[in-house]
Amino acid sequence: MAGSALRRLMAEYKQLTMDPPEGIAAGPISEDNFFEWEALIAGPEGTCFEGGVFPARLVFPPDYPLSPPKMKFTCDMFHPNIFSDGRVCISILHAPGDDPMGYELSAERWSPVQSVEKILLSVVSMLAEPNDESGANVDAAIMWRERRDEFNRIAQRLVRKTLGLSA
Amino acid sequence: MDSVENNDANRDELIIQQQREIEKEISDSTPLVSEQLPLNCLQAEYNGDEVFTDKIQELFKKYKFIRRTRPDGNCFFRAFAYSYLEYLITNNSDYQEFQKLAEASKDKLVELGFPSFTLEDFHETFMDVIKRVCPSHSETTEKVKNELHALFNDQGYSDYVVVYLRLITSGKLQEDADFYQHFIEGDFSIEEFRHQEVEPMYKESDHIHIIALCTALGVGVRVEYLDRGEGEQVKAHDFPEGSDPKVYLIYRPGHYDILYPN
Repeated sequence: MAGSALRRLMAEYKQLTMDPPEGIAAGPISEDNFFEWEALIAGPEGTCFEGGVFPARLVFPPDYPLSPPKMKFTCDMFHPNIFSDGRVCISILHAPGDDPMGYELSAERWSPVQSVEKILLSVVSMLAEPNDESGANVDAAIMWRERRDEFNRIAQRLVRKTLGLSA
Repeated sequence: MDSVENNDANRDELIIQQQREIEKEISDSTPLVSEQLPLNCLQAEYNGDEVFTDKIQELFKKYKFIRRTRPDGNCFFRAFAYSYLEYLITNNSDYQEFQKLAEASKDKLVELGFPSFTLEDFHETFMDVIKRVCPSHSETTEKVKNELHALFNDQGYSDYVVVYLRLITSGKLQEDADFYQHFIEGDFSIEEFRHQEVEPMYKESDHIHIIALCTALGVGVRVEYLDRGEGEQVKAHDFPEGSDPKVYLIYRPGHYDILYPN
């Protein structure tokens, strides 16, 4: 059987549904289109994002898994590794050479044996431990480094917002 | 601040997009694997270049035909797989042995730590391709070779074969990390090298990839180096050293194609 993006995405969806990692839910927005997923990510415990449920969208290329998907949060986010428009900026979403942020050599990269699950787990780690070296949001990186209290307050406000509570 | 960030991000993305467009142009103009072509088609490429034309004359003594592969960074793996499977079509006992080795390779990769779940698709497609080019009594060799050619020009099969060979290569580097560590230049660890330079698609191959793959599969490869190096002879190198080559490739800086010996 020829390799196919659709078959692989269906298998990943099935796997994620049967055995979801803690704090993560993900799947196609519509069963008609397996190339666009929505993910819900719980803010990791013991961090300033704890308690929030953050929605994001994943868009897969036609040659997935040879190339990685793109990922974007659809809620308001304030984080060193998330652009102000929600795009997630971590190394696993990039193949080596395709490298806008100049990630460290040791950073985990995309390859065809990675998976949606691995991406989402990396995003959870990123929420817990921002990498202030590769600043997709420079303001957030500086605040994370120098004014952590203020950063935490903003994060808590975003958490309440994802839950539909007033800030 | 926002607008500066976004401009930077957009510029990076524009550069990447432009690079993709160039790559696509190359793709569209070259099949994944070409028909067999007379070797003198190389002369036309180097018209008037004495160093190369002299060396090509020398190559004529040993080879008559060439089969080109798409220059997309996967050329070594694609050329290797095509050439070896083509050899196997007419060598049944080697075919049987290779099929067994390929079948067992998945469990070995899982043992080495590759995720079974994402490995499966690539292994399945790899085995399917091997099965479909089985030496056969009922079909003519010609017909099986046409099937091989069709499969290798179908991106869904061809690219999955490339991925699987990349994984086998990466697995070998991990298995014999102490040995291969000496070949790696710069500050890379074996682990980093595998994830950066071997497993991802479109990353070009170096000697270390070739040695690891040939050793893992037990297949001898001869590479003829057509470059500006000294002398009129094209230098040949066998991988692993001293092996009996079954696959013949020509290397021109940055690219591998398949050769057919006389």
